[in-house]
This record gives sequence, structure tokens and C-alpha cells, in this order.
Amino acid sequence: MLRRGDYLVFLATLLLLPWLYFTLWGDQRAGAYAQILVGGDQQALVSLHQPQTIEVEGALGLSILEIVDGKIRFITSACQGKQCIHRGWINLGGEVVSCLPNQVSIAILGGEQRFDAINF
Amino acid sequence: MRYLLLLIMVLALSGCDHPSAHSHKQQMYVFGTLVEVIIWTEDEAAATEAMSQLSAQFQRQHQQWHPWEAGELHTFNQQLTTGEPAPIPDVIAPLLQRASELSVASGGLFDPSLGQLVKLWGFSDNLVNATQPPDAEQLADFIKQAPHISDLEINNGLAQSHNPLLYLDFGGFAKGYAVDRAIETLRQMGFDNAIVNAGGDLRAIGSKDEWPWRIGIRNPRGEGLIASLQISGDESVFTSGDYERFYDYQGKRYHHIIDPRSGYPAEGFSSVTILHHDAATADAAATALLVAGPEQWREVAKKMGLSQVMVITPRGEISMSPAMVERIRFEVSPEPDVNVVDW
Repeated sequence: MLRRGDYLVFLATLLLLPWLYFTLWGDQRAGAYAQILVGGDQQALVSLHQPQTIEVEGALGLSILEIVDGKIRFITSACQGKQCIHRGWINLGGEVVSCLPNQVSIAILGGEQRFDAINF
Repeated sequence: MRYLLLLIMVLALSGCDHPSAHSHKQQMYVFGTLVEVIIWTEDEAAATEAMSQLSAQFQRQHQQWHPWEAGELHTFNQQLTTGEPAPIPDVIAPLLQRASELSVASGGLFDPSLGQLVKLWGFSDNLVNATQPPDAEQLADFIKQAPHISDLEINNGLAQSHNPLLYLDFGGFAKGYAVDRAIETLRQMGFDNAIVNAGGDLRAIGSKDEWPWRIGIRNPRGEGLIASLQISGDESVFTSGDYERFYDYQGKRYHHIIDPRSGYPAEGFSSVTILHHDAATADAAATALLVAGPEQWREVAKKMGLSQVMVITPRGEISMSPAMVERIRFEVSPEPDVNVVDW
């Protein structure tokens, strides 16, 4: 005969499973947050697990960023070369993508930061 | 006994109060790129002071060394175009000397006298401000009379140009030179563990306590990293690639590293990665080897005194010097085939 306490244990286990899955099986290198900088100053700190688009006003004009499935990318930018958009998704702790003309950067925080710096 | 136990616990806890070293990071926009400085120290106030000193140093260098914005190099260039002897500004002299030495060592594949050619292509401002390549005839005319750094005669602090097209642009090397000066400043301030990363090209000194610095190398084609390496001591990692600054015109990519022999963007490699002690050499060498291409890169690398080099072709073929193989760990699966070349 199951008691109320048993149901609570089952419920807690079910709630714990997704966390365990992401912690033990997920990519440990994946970051949890994106730091959005304009001209080197932090404008926002956003969760990578909350899908959204973000508008950021840079030196030249508007940059639009998109967050989906724990990754973030530039989808629109006021710059000419659009190299920030070509760079595509980033999600690993320590990764940085910058739109130099518009002075908008995204840095991934959290995760197991395997690298102190990225050479490119 | 009870008091002894209490004393041990208090002493153990007091250990937690000691400040421990950790990394202090700051990003700054300068030289048209994002520069990140990381200092591993327990002294937060000193790190903050160092960041502000470095930021001012970089801003000053940007203004002094920019070929086309008002400053010492711009004025010097204007004087050189008259063909008359011109005094070499103090802030330019050491740059000019080092860049000239590296140009000679590279067999002219890195040449700081080609500012006009870089401008023709629209890459003179670190940012891409062109949408189509220059006129072919105009380029051919330029190449016929192309300047070389040897056209600059230097005597007793005076420089005289013997080619009206000569225009100094330290773009393929100034970032590396600035990184070296920044490391020098940090050392003078007593920091022995740091990274100065100028838009992905960096020099790392020391370590994080006993742990080496870990550096990821971006995949030139695609997202993520292709490889990584560890540094403890003092080394620079510089990569030149055709993906850094470019524009597409009629389905073809035109990137910012121009071959001084043809006047067109260099072909043959997507990226060249150099590991070397000083950043200025690594910077100039990465440019020179990307220009050298598959036929000549080993010869040029040896002349420039390099031993750790990785090159990647547009088809993803990877070649490395034997010393580089020892350092690189691939971050992609399955691991790509590597052609280890004779050295």
C-alpha cells in the first residue's frame, strides 16, 4: 500500500530526472548563460535555456540575437560584412563571438570551461 | 583534548580566509578588434590597475600606429610620399626595424610597405569597407611598380622612400607587437601569469597555479574547435585565416591577406597556425606562410626560425611540422588525417 510520502518521493524523483540527465549526460562544456556586451560593457546576462530573440543597439545600429536549445547566434546585424552572422551558433563555456563594427559581443559563461582562450 | 580539537578546527577554518589566486578578465575594443586580458593573481586591486594601464597603452598604440588615421605613422607616411628624407618618429622606429627584419626573413611575403595595396582592396581599416574587388588593370599597374620595404633607405634616424607607392601599414604584425609590449608591461608590474588575447591571437605566460593555460583552436571551416593545446611558460599562438575579414563578390570570397606577388588574396590555405615565443614573429609569420601557400610554406617557416606550424587547406587537409604534432590535441571526432612533413 503506497502512502502519501511514497508519492512525494516518486514526484521528487521525476522532477530530479531532467536535472540528472543534463548534469550527467549533457555536454559538460555547454555554458548556461550568455553575457552580452556593447563596447566592452555588459548589457545583459541571459539564460541559454530560455528561447528568445534579443535586440541590442550597437555602435552602428541594431543587432538581433537568437537563443534556441542552449545555443545563441547573431541573426541580424547593422554591420556590412555580416561575419558575426556567418560565425553561426556558439554554446561552449568560454566561446566568444563579436561583431566588431557594431561593437556587440556575446560571451558564453558557465559550463565546464575547458579553455582559457580561443585562438582563431 | 576537547580544546585541542577545537583549536585544530579553528586553524583549519582560518585557511579558508586566505585570498587565493583566480583569473581577472577584461575585454577592450582596440585595433579594430576585441582584446581580452586575463591575469591570474590574488591581488584584485593591482589587476584592475594593470587593466586600466593596458587599456590606455593599447589606445595610444592604436592612435600612433594607424596608417590612415591622424597620428605618428600617418604623418610619417605623408612625409615619405614626398621622397624627401623624413625623421623616423620614436614610437615608429622600433616597429619599423622589427617589421623590416621580419619582412627580409619572410622573403618579402610579409611586407609592411604595401599600405596602398591593402587600401585598394578595402581592408585598410581593420574593418571591411569594400563590397567588390578593385579593378584588375589598376591592380596590374600597382604590381608592376609595387614597393618593397627595401625601397626605404634609413640613415641616422632619417628615412627616405625611393618608391612613391610605398606606404607603411603594420597591419600584419602590429597586433603581435602590441601583445609583446603588453606582456612586457604586465611583467614590469609583477604579473608572471597572464594571457593577452588580441582578437584570437595571443601570448600566454606562466600558468594558473600549477595548471597550464588551455587554448582552443577554432575550426576554420564550420563551428566549434578543431584542436587544442596547453601552454605553461611563455608562448604565442597566432592564426591567420581566410575567414577573418572578407567579402563575397559574385560567388567568390575575397579575404584580407594579399599576396604581394600577384596583388590578389592569397590562395592555397584556409588557415595557418604558428606557435612561437614572441607574438610579433608569430603574427608576421602567420601572414607570410598563408601567402607562401602549399609549395613554399616549409621553406619560409624555416627561414623565419619557426618549428611549430599547422596549415589547413580549403578542403580541410591538415599538415604539421613534427614539433607541432607533439603539441596539438584534436577536438573533433573522428580525428582528421595529418600529413606530418619533413623538417
